[in-house]
Amino acid sequence: MSQFNRRDFLKALAVAAPASVLHVPSARAAAKARVVVVGGGFGGATAAKYLKMMSPTLDVTLVEKNKIYTSCPLSNEVISGHGNIKDLEIGYDGLKKRGINVIFDEAGTIDPVKKTVALKGGKTLAYDALVLSPGVDFNYGGVVGYTRELAEGDLPHAYKAGPQTLKLQQQLMAMPDGGTFVITVPKGPFRCPPGPYERASQVAAYLKGHGKMKSKVLILDANDSFSKKGLFEQAWKLHYPGMIEWVPGASDGNVIRIDPKTKTAYTNFGEHKADVLNVIPPHHAGNIAKNAGLTNEKGWSPVDMLTMESTLHKDIWVVGDSCVHGDLPVYAAPKSAHSAVTQAKVAVGAIIAKLNGQPAPVPNFVNTCYSIAAPDWGFSVVHVYRVDNGKLVYVQDAGGISVIDTPSITTLRRLEAEYAVGWLRNIMADAFA
Amino acid sequence: MRYRVILGVVLAGLLGSAHAVDSIEPLANTCNNCHGVDGVSVGPSMPSIGGLPEAYLNNIMLEWKKGTRFSATMGRLVKGYSDEQIAALAKHFASKPWVPVAQKTDPKLVALGKKVTARCAGCHGETGKAEDSETPNLNGQWSMYLQMEAMKYRDDSVAMPSRPMRNAAKKLSDEEVKAVAEFYANQK
Repeated sequence: MSQFNRRDFLKALAVAAPASVLHVPSARAAAKARVVVVGGGFGGATAAKYLKMMSPTLDVTLVEKNKIYTSCPLSNEVISGHGNIKDLEIGYDGLKKRGINVIFDEAGTIDPVKKTVALKGGKTLAYDALVLSPGVDFNYGGVVGYTRELAEGDLPHAYKAGPQTLKLQQQLMAMPDGGTFVITVPKGPFRCPPGPYERASQVAAYLKGHGKMKSKVLILDANDSFSKKGLFEQAWKLHYPGMIEWVPGASDGNVIRIDPKTKTAYTNFGEHKADVLNVIPPHHAGNIAKNAGLTNEKGWSPVDMLTMESTLHKDIWVVGDSCVHGDLPVYAAPKSAHSAVTQAKVAVGAIIAKLNGQPAPVPNFVNTCYSIAAPDWGFSVVHVYRVDNGKLVYVQDAGGISVIDTPSITTLRRLEAEYAVGWLRNIMADAFA
Repeated sequence: MRYRVILGVVLAGLLGSAHAVDSIEPLANTCNNCHGVDGVSVGPSMPSIGGLPEAYLNNIMLEWKKGTRFSATMGRLVKGYSDEQIAALAKHFASKPWVPVAQKTDPKLVALGKKVTARCAGCHGETGKAEDSETPNLNGQWSMYLQMEAMKYRDDSVAMPSRPMRNAAKKLSDEEVKAVAEFYANQK
């Protein structure tokens, strides 16, 4: 009986919903519209692809600096040797095949009034709608003594996957048994909230796997808690007893300066000599967003939480790590690939609606983020959001972290370790293929 | 009561309200992140869901929502959606074509799997193409995903509602589990 009602409901809905509610783009408006997407990471690639998929007549241009994108998710597994960086790389042929104009160049100046983007190569692109997905840039000066040159040289932060990831891996491999691997964590928000702690786990996995059990991983943290803390601490106790130490900000964990020559990290009252010093500098929105006046006093781009359109300049949508989405706490709307992809899909819906003079559809935001703490030991956090009186809120009873204590723990952790890998393959294809 | 809710939603649709369940596609697109566009997965641990029977998809999501079926991640997700949204998602993905994925399989295991799966054919059909709407397609599903599902059925601490599946999975040796997965994965 209930089955019957449901069918009736769907049928009734299909008949009742007028075309305008279904957001069928008008070919005429869409055909004229030029959408420029800046930044070809998860957010930008998804935006470009779904714009073209949802409204094939749109003129979509993607501007990206690099010909190959390297996924940050699962790059900590490359540091430990459990993953291969080649599996994290993807190009832009898939998007080109969909009819997206891909330009390999760096976007320079955005003129939000004239609605143009000047590229460093000399070209200027006019837009009706602009999607910015520039990821993060770093405030190297936030840790005194740290510089971009050091990051690209002997002290890689490896918080953008690529050559720095491999450099950090080499340093780990060269570290003698009994050595100390120091990770410094900036005050949040930063991209991939569980990233530093997953990295600590992966470093320990390498050390354990190579009989270097006298070594230590020291996390010097500016914050007093972290994402999936209970799950990580459980995994550390079980897999790496005594190997990983976390020093919160309240216990003098905040690193203020470093001495690159001696690889020493200085906090307010202490100094920590490292064999491998991995400084993760503070982040802010991509410089292009900053330079275009799209950021707030904290350095992030505020957006309308229902559409992802900038609250500072209209007709510009900011998605991914650069945006501050909603006013939930720091870790509530995490800067993750999954968030970026779902935000991009929402922005696409809003852009197409706006170009056609229609109200934006109800957005669907969701986040899933896996961490692998040891071989066959994965876990996740899930967020499901809903719009309540114009505000972004969590759906009660949904979401949360993986169960911590359960008799099924071995099966559960093994499943999620595999899901992490399957998730990456699918989300890369969803964005780029 | 139920009709009143339905009527409300339909009226909201007529009025073009932003709160109407106007199209399930935007929500379905969020599933693509993990299950692939149109539910065709390219990740071996993630099942393809496009073209699975509607009743199966609807049931499994409702079981996760109620907590009567074990899940690592899905339960936390589907609890965020109404039964109507879940029904619409099931209908959406069921309407997509089932695309058996091309994957490398071990011929020896496939041959063993063919023998072992004789006892599965009653419910799953000879090649994993089931006739009834409650049973998922196994032909061309990812081998790794199938092995992981079998792992759930073989772990007594994991709540899996199908007693026949639990009994059948427990009778298999480790090698036979792999063989069954490889056999179905290899079917078109």
